Amino acid sequence: MLPIDAAAHSSRWRHRHPVDKAVLGLGLTVLAISLPPWPGAALVLATALVVLLGPAGVPARRLWRAYRVPLGFCVTGALTLLVQVGGPDGFVAPAPDGPVRAGELLLRTSAASLGVLLFAFTTPMSDLLPRLVKAGVPAPVVDVALVTYRMSFLLLDSMRRIREAQAARLGHTGRAAEWRSLAGLGATAFVRAFDRAARLQDGLAGRGYDGTLRVLVPEARVSARFTAAAVLLLATVAALTFVLERPLS
Amino acid sequence: MHIAEGFLPPAHAIAWGVASAPFVVHGVRSLTREVREHPESTLLLGASGAFTFVLSALKLPSVTGSCSHPTGTGLGAILFRPPIMAVLGTITLLFQALLLAHGGLTTLGANVFSMAIVGPWAGYAVYRLLRRYDVPLMVAVFFGAFVADLSTYCVTSVQLALAFPDPSSGFLGALGKFGSIFAVTQIPLAVSEGLLTVLVMRLLSQSSKGELIRLGVLAAGKRAATGTEAVAR
Repeated sequence: MLPIDAAAHSSRWRHRHPVDKAVLGLGLTVLAISLPPWPGAALVLATALVVLLGPAGVPARRLWRAYRVPLGFCVTGALTLLVQVGGPDGFVAPAPDGPVRAGELLLRTSAASLGVLLFAFTTPMSDLLPRLVKAGVPAPVVDVALVTYRMSFLLLDSMRRIREAQAARLGHTGRAAEWRSLAGLGATAFVRAFDRAARLQDGLAGRGYDGTLRVLVPEARVSARFTAAAVLLLATVAALTFVLERPLS
Repeated sequence: MHIAEGFLPPAHAIAWGVASAPFVVHGVRSLTREVREHPESTLLLGASGAFTFVLSALKLPSVTGSCSHPTGTGLGAILFRPPIMAVLGTITLLFQALLLAHGGLTTLGANVFSMAIVGPWAGYAVYRLLRRYDVPLMVAVFFGAFVADLSTYCVTSVQLALAFPDPSSGFLGALGKFGSIFAVTQIPLAVSEGLLTVLVMRLLSQSSKGELIRLGVLAAGKRAATGTEAVAR
């Protein structure tokens, strides 16, 4: 199981309805990209961090490990804003407002990423996917996504074990061996995926498969109190942004 | 490399979502029709999605010595065709955003456009064109995967340049900046992905010839239609 999904399964908010967590987490993300970066995104970032490490109980180390992935892209992308091309000061010169734009972009992306991480770290995919049918996603697409989700873990586990076996057989000692091993890994993933699909099909056919994958979804109700509190928090962050925007600018 | 969460301004995020929607809707319709006619295709399509997801998790040694991940769009498009890849790519990108914090939900439309639409279509077009002129299969596979990978990152550079034009030289200057980071550096990785795809296809043609024939990648005599063959359509 992947670290974020494993954390979601043992989260304090695991049994809350995904809608509750979507209102809070994705609401923070929407605020991060729609409010002015300063102080709006900064407030969203602080709020998301407090909620993640406090009530949601996400371990700081796990959060950092997940958070540094988007941060790498953001820093690389923001660096380009520091320079301008073809201006009067030379072919490549420092952009006059580059640091401000780069800083604002970093703030916005950092805050938005934390909002999604709040949702991801508290909502297992197995709780979310079956409920997408009620949100209007066609059932066959949800079924394909469910099979993809469940088979991905099996394949990733197979890949890890094959990689270990390749390493034990000196499959990563040279460049040629590395390429051969990698190609073997990709081809084996294909073969195993289709083999598993065929065996699943046989098993389901024997159980009267009619084209619908029925899975048990944990019972959960949308909490009016939680949702109202989340909306209140989002409204407070938005209001604080507009109040503080002029004094802090 | 996908555009991270919150990186694009709201108007751009919405616009790329709107641009991607027709392709994804078309793919969803094909997939829904296919699953209704052949219920067993659900499992094969799910397996294809898992394969695409796992492929993007492989570490790829670059010819310059660095390391990256293959996009898998070229191989996916050749095996499963671009309309199906639009849906499988969207599912994969959604999983990557929520399970790996790679990409994002607000940038899903932009990432789908580059990685699940333009990449597969460009790679598949080159592959089909070369096959039409009787270019050997493995050469066509290499160029299909190479173009799919590179076009994905070229589109990403265009998306970023449109969102963040250079203060002095506008869109073109920004395209040069983002292109030099996200597209030019991708050339050796695209070569690597092309080589890897050829190696994978060679192994598959030895170990899974039947599947490749049913998917329509390898030529075959008359065979009974199956769900997999329909997936290929």
